[in-house]
Formats: sequence, structure tokens, C-alpha cells
Amino acid sequence: MTEAPAPSSHFRRRLPLLAGLVLLFGSLSQTHAQADLPPLRWGGDAAGGAPFIYGPSTNRVGFEVELIAFLAKQIGRHPVFVQADWDTLPDTLQRGNIDIAMNGMEFVPEREQEFASTLPYFIYTLRLIVRTNDDSVKGWEDLKRQPGKPRLRVGVLRGSVAERYMRTKFGDDVEVIPTREVDETFQLVEGGERLDVTVQDSPAAAYYVEGGKLPQLKVVGEPVAPGYYIILTRKSDTELREALNGAIREAVRSGEIERIYRKYKLWSKEQEQLRLLVEKPWPPAPEDVPASVTAKLSLKSLRTALLRATGVTISLACLAMPLAILLGIGIAVGRLYGPWWVRTPLAVYVEILRGTPLLLQMYVLFFLVPMAARAIGWQPLISLVTLPAFAVGVLGLAFNYSAYESEIYRAGLQAIPRGQMEAALSLGMSRSKAIWHIILPQAVRLVVPPVTNDFIALFKDTSICSVILITDLTGLYYQNKYDREIALQLALVVGLLYLAMSYPLSLLARRLESQPLKVEG
Amino acid sequence: MIEVCELSKHHGHLHVLRGINLTVRQGEVAAVIGPSGGGKSTLLRCINGLEKFQAGSVRVGELSLKAGGTKSEQLRALRQRIGMVFQQFHLFPHLTVLENVLSGPLWAQGRTRAEAEPEALTLLERVGMRDKANVRPEQLSGGQQQRVAIARALAVHPEAILFDEPTSALDPRMAGEVLGVMSDLAKAGQTMIVVTHAMSFARRVAHTVHVMHEGTVAESGPPEQIFGAARTEVTRQFLHEAMRH
Ligand SMILES: Nc1ncnc2c1ncn2[C@@H]1O[C@H](COP(=O)(O)OP(=O)(O)O)[C@@H](O)[C@H]1O
Ligand SMILES: [Mg+2]
Repeated sequence: MTEAPAPSSHFRRRLPLLAGLVLLFGSLSQTHAQADLPPLRWGGDAAGGAPFIYGPSTNRVGFEVELIAFLAKQIGRHPVFVQADWDTLPDTLQRGNIDIAMNGMEFVPEREQEFASTLPYFIYTLRLIVRTNDDSVKGWEDLKRQPGKPRLRVGVLRGSVAERYMRTKFGDDVEVIPTREVDETFQLVEGGERLDVTVQDSPAAAYYVEGGKLPQLKVVGEPVAPGYYIILTRKSDTELREALNGAIREAVRSGEIERIYRKYKLWSKEQEQLRLLVEKPWPPAPEDVPASVTAKLSLKSLRTALLRATGVTISLACLAMPLAILLGIGIAVGRLYGPWWVRTPLAVYVEILRGTPLLLQMYVLFFLVPMAARAIGWQPLISLVTLPAFAVGVLGLAFNYSAYESEIYRAGLQAIPRGQMEAALSLGMSRSKAIWHIILPQAVRLVVPPVTNDFIALFKDTSICSVILITDLTGLYYQNKYDREIALQLALVVGLLYLAMSYPLSLLARRLESQPLKVEG
Repeated sequence: MIEVCELSKHHGHLHVLRGINLTVRQGEVAAVIGPSGGGKSTLLRCINGLEKFQAGSVRVGELSLKAGGTKSEQLRALRQRIGMVFQQFHLFPHLTVLENVLSGPLWAQGRTRAEAEPEALTLLERVGMRDKANVRPEQLSGGQQQRVAIARALAVHPEAILFDEPTSALDPRMAGEVLGVMSDLAKAGQTMIVVTHAMSFARRVAHTVHVMHEGTVAESGPPEQIFGAARTEVTRQFLHEAMRH
């Protein structure tokens, strides 16, 4: 338990002067470098945020930004940042759009079959983070399922080691909810309605939570599951990798890495090991890899997950479509037979929902509406709009599709000959009775084929729900595709499952279309 | 029982009805004849409130329609007292024959199916369609459909029924079936206004015949007068044309 050695007082005194000189010469030489040196395209996800890569796109900061600047200079290259979604970084590297991926990429032994990692530049641990006022979780043991209580909801970055750690270590004790961004995840824990705790890599925990940026959250329990951040390169780029390894060794030996990490309050006793690691061959022999890093997802647990995800996809579609139809019919009737103050808002509703992307609508319903409610601060309203993710998914799909269904039903209602309404009225029926008993049933039959087609489309659009923490089939694929052995099979299975569900519907739609229903006139 | 007074109606610039006066007594059969485009259909549609009009009034018993619109409650009450049979039948294709006949009692009058069904079957019997009670309209001939439409109109117990060329879409044999049903109704004392091109029916069954021409009633009188001793040139001209066909 020795503290990291403080820099010598001699060094510390000279630091400001040194820094000033480095800054001056650095900026001078950099203008030169920018022009002459070959670029090093490094991929990362700025949305992953502090302390890795953050700040405005014109002036990125973060410990990785500073480290890559040092490394690139060492190897005579000039770093150019390329933005990519974090979980797509390996694929982006493979496609050749970037030269290296460096953004909290964890060392995963299986990945070495397809990529080659550099020496580690950071030793991370996993940290458990809860709300400050939540006393029920004091450490990892408290994540175990309590009889009679609902499972705790644990937010983890999808595709991260934290996710895999939670799944293998806690399995069915907790509900693992994969999220897309660190910020977003912290927000959801703070809100408390959707997540109870989150497990994050130590840098994010140190910067946001221990650094006091998010006073509503605290870190509890021991650091667990140490692992290494490495730079990912293509296997064939041996020369580049060797050069980077040399640069990393230099950064560690010279204390540059310690300087950067201290600046971001990331230096901890674990980082001491870097000094040993960079002098040994990499990747390490299997027996030298911490057990937490080699934990592997089993295919068997995936089978139940697939079954559950299929159920989620089917339920999303089968709940959203009837709702969309009911709403659509109401809107169509209102727009055709209602007074102007009903017609106008309905027309606006339809145009907005048809004219904006479903993805955006989901985000608004899931994140922005509860946020707005919290800003207003009226508790009943907050509880009302902060629905479970599944309900938001169903509603988001239903609202979006109701706009399309309303147009179909409007056309259907208009296709019913005038004589039908007149005959009903001449019997003494009220307009609403005539619409309900005479016009609507005929219109509903008339539009069965286009509505069936829309059902197929909705079926596939359920995949968008994976962005709001719902583990449907698509969500399941995204969560597991980092396991490159399973990724392809999984994609195939998921695709086939979608097809198996939508193809019978297609056949049905085609049959219905070939036998149009008879309408009078 | 039905009193139309100075009824005037425009379709845009077209002056379709130009001050119509017409009275139909309880139990009377009034035939309306005249050249196409003369405003006969429009007159019927104004009488049961399917069209608005610009001047004049329509009175049915103590209920009345005024120029410029009437409250929907009043309209519904009036429509239940006046049935309508259309040239194109307008049966409800998604319902069976029996359900078509029950539609008025159930959804206009709020009666129960148990109570209304025996009567509906009796009405179907009366128009000779009882054995088709459970088929859909699309399986019926035109004449059969029109007879069902008559039963449907009768099911709400209207005091009068308006017929708008009920046999014009039918071939002669089927027209005969329908006219037969209508004659029976007339004999039973049903008040009716019948717009028709079936001159023999008008002559045999109607108590009064009205000749409409260019939005006016050119001549009214008993069949003997209209068909035997027409007083206006319009009537003579129309009948001359009609006989040639
Ligand atoms: N909805 C309408 N819009 C404009 N003109 C109409 C409309 N309905 C009927 N008309 C016109 O009104 C006139 C009378 O029509 P109608 O009452 O159907 O005559 P009839 O039944 O005697 O043949 C015709 O000239 C017709 O073109
Ligand atoms: Mg007509």
C-alpha cells in the first residue's frame, strides 16, 4: 500500500518553467509538424467524454489526447482525431478508416486473433457507483439478489468489459442494462427511475464522481477486475506497433505518463505496474493475464437471452401496432369529421411525426421529456412521464406509426361511397353512430392490406428501441458483437429470427392484396 | 302531413329548386314525374334533410326544417319519421340482410336486438326476402336488394317513405317485383312520395301526380288529369317523350 512516489522536489520546482518552454517550443514546432509529418489517424469517441477525450471539437483535451500527442511526436507522426461510436472502433479500424483505435480500449485476449494491441498505457479497475443518498448498496456484495426484492438495475457501457464482468460475475442477480454513453448512464443513475447503480472504468469514476463533478453520486466498494488499456492496431501494421511500443515505453520511463495522469488526477498505485509491464513482452502469457480479463460469455446463456429478446421484439410490435391503429383511427375520424379546432392540431401532430425520424422521437420521449418534467419539478408529472423503457418503446412506436395509420384510414374512410352515410342518416342514425357502425367497419376492412404492410415495417422498426436500453433482438446483437467469434453467428441468427417473423406477415399481406374486399358502388 | 312551402335551393349559381309548394296528406301516394335534371331528387333530399336549402320550409307534422340549417337532434327526429329508398339501394355491404333491416332499430332508435328481430323478420317476409335473411347484399340481385332496402326503411316505423327512382337501376322483371311491393304498401295506407319513370305505376297507384320541370312544379293533379287531360304544355311534351321510350 505504498503511495505513488511524488515527483522530486527538484523536478517540481522546475515544472512551470519547463512547461512554459515546452508550450512555446511545442506550439512552434507543431505548426511545422502539422505541415510535414505524415498523419496518424486515431479513432476515438469524444461522446465517451472526460477524462479520456472531451472539450469542443476544435480544442480537444483529455489524458488520451495528451498522451497521443506525445506518442505521435515520438514516432514522427501528426495525430488526426477521427470520431466513431466507441463500440464500432474495432470495425472502423478493420475497414481502414483509422490507423489506430485508442479510447479506453480494454485488452481482451480473444481480440488478439484479429487485431494486435500495443503495450498497455493505463491500468484500470472497475468501480461501483451509486446515488449519494442510497444506503442500500455499500459494496459489491449488496448487488446479490435479495429474496423478495426486484433485481438491481446496473447500467454498463454496451460492449465494455464492465458489461461482460457483470454478466459473468453477477449473472441473474442483477439486471444488466447496456447503455451507449457514460454521461447518459450517470444521468440515469442520478434520476434513479431507470438505473440503480452503474459500473464504470476507474478513470470515469475518478474524474466525474471522486473528482466531485457529480455530487449526487458516490463510489462504493473496492476497485475490482483490473485490466489494461491498450492501443489497437491492425495485425499487419507491425512497424507502427513497434514504434508505438517504443514511444509508450519512453512515456513510462521518462515520467511523462505520470505527469499527464497526475494532471487528470488519474495516477494511482496500480499505475506503478506499468513500469514493469512495458519492459516485458506483450501480449502477456495467458497465466499472467488477470482472471477478470479472460472472463468469457457462454453461448448457453446467450440462448436464453435470445429467447427473451425475441419475446421483447414480438411484444413491442404486438403492443405498439394495435395502439397505433386505434390512435390512427381516432385521428382519421377527427380529421375528416371534426371541427377545425380538432382538425388543425391533428394535422400538425401527423406532420410532425411523419416528418421527423423515429430515432429522434424515441430519444425525446425517453430522455428529454423526463428531463423537462424534472426541470418543472412537479413530482406527479415526473412519475407520469418517466415510464419504464419498455413502455416508452411501445408508446414511441405507437405514436410514430399512428401518423401513418391515420393517413391510411383517412383514405379508407374517404373511399366509402357517400350513399352509405346518407342511407345511415336517412334511417335517423346520428353521425357518430353512422361512422361507428356503417363507415368505419367498411373502411377497416378496406385497409387491411396496407395496414398489414405497415405492421411488417413496424416489426423491423422495433430495432430502434435498442437505443433506449431495451434489449430486443437488435439490442442483444449490439451488446454481444464485440465477441467476434459470436458476432457473425449472432447476426445471422438475429436476421433469421426477424425474417421468420416478418415473412409470414408478408405472405398474408400479399394474399389480402390479391383479394380486394368488395365495397358498394 | 308533409308540407313543402316556397322551397328554393341553389347549387352554386344553379337555381335547382325555384319555390316549390307541395302537400302530401296522411295515407296519400304522391308520384313525382318529369324530365331528368328537373330537381326531383333534390326535392326529396331536401325533405329529409340530406340537403340544405336557401329559402322556404319543410314541415312534417309538428317538426319543421328551415332554410339555413336545422339542429341535428331535430333532423334525426324528422328522418326517423321519413324513410328513404335510393335508386342505388345503398345497402350496407358489411352486414347481412337481417342486420341491414335491424340497423335502424338498433343504431338509430336504440332498441334491443331481441325485441327488434321478430319484427325485422316479419318485414322481410312482407317483401319476400325472409329466406335470404342471413346472406350478404352482394349475393342478391338488384330487385332483391331494393326490396331489402324497403324493409330497412320500414323498420323504423316511418310515417312516410320517399322513393327516388327505386326501379331505374333494374331490368323490367325485377322492377316489377319492387313495384309490386310498393303497391302493397300503398294499399296498406302507407304515405309515400315516389319519384319514378314507371308511368303505369304512377297512373295505377298514385293519388296525386306532380310534374316537375326546371325546378318548379309545372302541374299537379290526379292521374286521370295528368295522363288524360294535361293542362300544361310541359306535361304533354314530357309524356309524349316518355311514351316514345
Ligand atoms: N351536388 C350537386 N352540385 C351541383 N349541381 C347539382 C348537384 N346535385 C344536383 N345538381 C344539379 O341540380 C339539378 C337537379 O338535379 P336532380 O335533383 O338530381 O334532378 P332529377 O332528380 O330531377 O334528375 C341538375 O341540373 C343537377 O345537375
Ligand atoms: Mg334524380
